[in-house]
Amino acid sequence: MSAISVDGRRVECAEDQSMLEAFLRAGIWMPNSCNQGTCGTCKLQVVCGEVDHGDSPLETLTAEERAAGLALACQARPLAETEVALRGSEPGRTTHVLRDLTATVVGVEEIARDTRRILLGLEEPLAFSAGQYVELLVPGTTERRPYSLANTAEEDKVLELHVRRVPGGVASEWLFGPVAVGDRVEVRGPLGDFHAPDADEDQGEPMVLIGGGTGLAPLLGIARTALARHPERTVVLYHGVRVEADLYDTDRLEELAAGHPGFSFVTVLSREAVRGHRHGYAPDAFVEDIAGARGWSGWLCGPPPMVEAGVKAFKRRRMAPRLIHREKFTAADAPAP
Amino acid sequence: MTTTQQDLSWLDDVTMSDLERNPYPTYERLRREAPLAFVPVLGSYVASTAEVCREVATSPDFEAVITPAGGRTFGHPAIIGVNGDIHADLRGMVEPQLQPAEVDSWVDDLVRPIARRYVEQFEDRGRAELVAEFCEPVSVRSLGDLLGLQSVSSDKLREWFHKLSVSFTNAAVDENGEFTNPEGFTPGDEARAEIQEVVDPLIDRWTEHPENTAISHWLHDGMPPGKTRAREYIYPTIYVYLLGAMQEPGHGMASTLVGLFSRPEQLEEVVDDPSLLPRAISEGMRWTSPIWSATARISTKPVTIAGVDLPAGTPVILSYGSANHDTGKYDAPTEYDLHRPPLPHLAFGAGNHACAGIYYANQVMRIGLEELFEAIPNLERDTGEGVEFWGWGFRGPTSLHCTWEV
Repeated sequence: MSAISVDGRRVECAEDQSMLEAFLRAGIWMPNSCNQGTCGTCKLQVVCGEVDHGDSPLETLTAEERAAGLALACQARPLAETEVALRGSEPGRTTHVLRDLTATVVGVEEIARDTRRILLGLEEPLAFSAGQYVELLVPGTTERRPYSLANTAEEDKVLELHVRRVPGGVASEWLFGPVAVGDRVEVRGPLGDFHAPDADEDQGEPMVLIGGGTGLAPLLGIARTALARHPERTVVLYHGVRVEADLYDTDRLEELAAGHPGFSFVTVLSREAVRGHRHGYAPDAFVEDIAGARGWSGWLCGPPPMVEAGVKAFKRRRMAPRLIHREKFTAADAPAP
Repeated sequence: MTTTQQDLSWLDDVTMSDLERNPYPTYERLRREAPLAFVPVLGSYVASTAEVCREVATSPDFEAVITPAGGRTFGHPAIIGVNGDIHADLRGMVEPQLQPAEVDSWVDDLVRPIARRYVEQFEDRGRAELVAEFCEPVSVRSLGDLLGLQSVSSDKLREWFHKLSVSFTNAAVDENGEFTNPEGFTPGDEARAEIQEVVDPLIDRWTEHPENTAISHWLHDGMPPGKTRAREYIYPTIYVYLLGAMQEPGHGMASTLVGLFSRPEQLEEVVDDPSLLPRAISEGMRWTSPIWSATARISTKPVTIAGVDLPAGTPVILSYGSANHDTGKYDAPTEYDLHRPPLPHLAFGAGNHACAGIYYANQVMRIGLEELFEAIPNLERDTGEGVEFWGWGFRGPTSLHCTWEV
């Protein structure tokens, strides 16, 4: 075990922990997003000490960056007492503590084609921000899979996850197979920087959210949080799926719209034309609908091509890039390596 | 030390307008054949590689000298062309306001509202010519307000630096060392007369009643109580500011934009992550150095540089814009590349005459481009219009037409 420090705050980092994990477990905030070494959000400067870069991909952390003392906090492990510095972000912020919990499955619901809602009951509440994600340990394996929370921060006793079946995926074989109410599940969280702003930083600006498939989950938490704070604000939510059978929670969204005149939602089907739904891709529907999004914030969660198209669509409507938020983990389940 | 004598007679055919249109081919050949060479049209030795520029700029055997056309334009003692005690006094006069910690305490409040104001004038129009409508105005308004020239319009400040700039770089001389184009100094003379008409009354006022403006500080700081620096003493340095410091942040922003437009994927990266802007700007300054070939040194004793024996009193023009395209140092230097290894460049010079405003200029450019991309993240170059660079002493795009969806 080696000690690591940032901004004068020192924590112990266990042998099997990444530096990111050790900091988050101590409640010390650090930029992080995908936690799989691919997004580079957690890149930091090693000031002194020595680290093992672990599985850091060369595409994310180049040889030149390694030579310059940079490391990916989510992959690197300290080999000696190590001091690091964050790059260009506000230092020393406190965050929700990363925790390991055992949850109980309290609900398994078929909500759309190959899509399930999984409810996990907690013995004690988990502090998180709406939009963050948790990792589940797939029983009988060492594989963890990330799932966004559909909850608001107040809904902290029963976690709501939306799961899409991926053929051959280890988590899918479990969550679309033997999983049953009453099962015990290992949960680690909260993680990620895709979340509703803190209440005191939320100016009530108009928001547009685009979710692809089960990418709707964190947007439900974020949109409901935003509307609870500023009930009159403009919030437009696009849910993009392939076919009508993939849609879910439309009744829930209708209910939200009924109570909030500024909220609207649009369902977009890419593979079939059905009355009552838009045909095409959600980012294109946004460009058609919204003439200008200057001063709006934008929220994107879904398959990477949809997220990329969403970023372009938002900028095309002149949304400031610093107000564009995107979930960077690749949500798709995959077979064990 | 001796080297093979190159036949440099081709240099006899190089004209001033060749250099102003595109100096790169001439300097590329100079770097290859004679990194220190006498260029007849300039009447001066020229250093063209990174190594020789740095060697001359930092050598104890050289001191600063203003180029003849520069001296004709600014007069004496301009901070860029003096040495010893006068240089130390002038640096001591300008530097306190330009220290990074000092600049950090006011630069955002100064520049951001100015940048916003100019963006607001065209952001809903869907097109703009960014050199004249954004880069130059943001640069001159920020520095103008800092100097205490709030009463002078941005257009007038732009006119002044343009006029001073063409005179400063009116460098062509004949075989006797006489200026070939003496009427080329008329614009600079006109600008100086106008500047004095405006600044003299301000100096009168600040002499009696000091204010927190740069020029007021220059009059008073470090002087015994009741004494001020003479206006004749500080005017040449005021002209240095009104030319270089006014013009170059605008050039730097515009060149960085043109560079980014040449790499759309890199433009998108920077728009999405403005924390990349300092690196993008640094590469823009390397790619098209605004102070391309405007400073010089003079030998104080006989010295051998790059195999060339120079007697004492030999001026050498430092071509930093060429040094920053040195293939010995940079791969494919003619290409803008945000991701090239961030080696130090010479855009701000070297030695004890290195630019005093490096930090300030970098902040102006950063804040300006942050506000531009914040308001217009969908900025595109108008491909129906060309981009033309101009200048040998100072270089940047003459115009930059852009469009975006509104």
